[in-house]
Amino acid sequence: MTMAHDRLDATFAALADPTRRAIVARLARGDATVNELAEPFAMTLPGISKHLKVLERCGLISRTRHAQFRPCHLEGAALDSAVSWIEENRRTWTERFDKLDEHLRDIQAKAAKRGESQHEGRARR
Amino acid sequence: MTDQAPVADELVYTRVFEAPRELVFRCMIEPDHLTHFWGPVGVSTPRESITVDPRPGGLFETVMVNDADGSRYSMRAIFVEVTEPERLVWTEPDNGVRTTSTLRDLGGSRTEVTIHQANVPEAFRSPEARAGFSTSLDRFATYLKTLA
Repeated sequence: MTMAHDRLDATFAALADPTRRAIVARLARGDATVNELAEPFAMTLPGISKHLKVLERCGLISRTRHAQFRPCHLEGAALDSAVSWIEENRRTWTERFDKLDEHLRDIQAKAAKRGESQHEGRARR
Repeated sequence: MTDQAPVADELVYTRVFEAPRELVFRCMIEPDHLTHFWGPVGVSTPRESITVDPRPGGLFETVMVNDADGSRYSMRAIFVEVTEPERLVWTEPDNGVRTTSTLRDLGGSRTEVTIHQANVPEAFRSPEARAGFSTSLDRFATYLKTLA
């Protein structure tokens, strides 16, 4: 639990950087080499490599050891755990709001009914 | 419901309810009300598992029980601010998440509730992480889904 949580913390920290998010978004479309990844950014190769190391450390991406150009690969499972944390949180609040909405309708309808019957009671007297 | 996150370590959820602000506020701090809506779909929050001491430093504790398999998920939070009927702030010491609920009176018995969660998760407390945010992590997650 704690280890998974630490990993998740590292993943969120890695995704906190806009360049790294852009790299992840690019890799979501398919593997790419460091050169290909550096293209859209006004950044040196060592600069990109630094970002890749951060992403590699938290397990978000992996790199082939032996191939000459060492293409980067997005590790879906690591990304899923970060994305699902956010989605789970969003779902909880959405459904909580739905239930609160229903509850508010319920108690207000009951209160209105009580008010009516009290009113009728008084009128009858 | 609209979701918007000004920076990536924050999540914001907003909803308008057809009810007066005082009533909505009471729903958020009284166990008799919380038990009706605190758990998401398929999850109950038994009345006896809810502790609410609505004052700064006071405890806010719930246990949510999965209806299908009985697994339990507990939340322990401490109130930082309780300003009736407009603002509730609590923090969860376990994960550092700080939740601010703001209730806005829209008139005509309508209330807008905004849930703002900061420090999501604790790693985002680092200044360098904060400086790097330009787009919402929440929107990023949605965007990535569209790529998959």
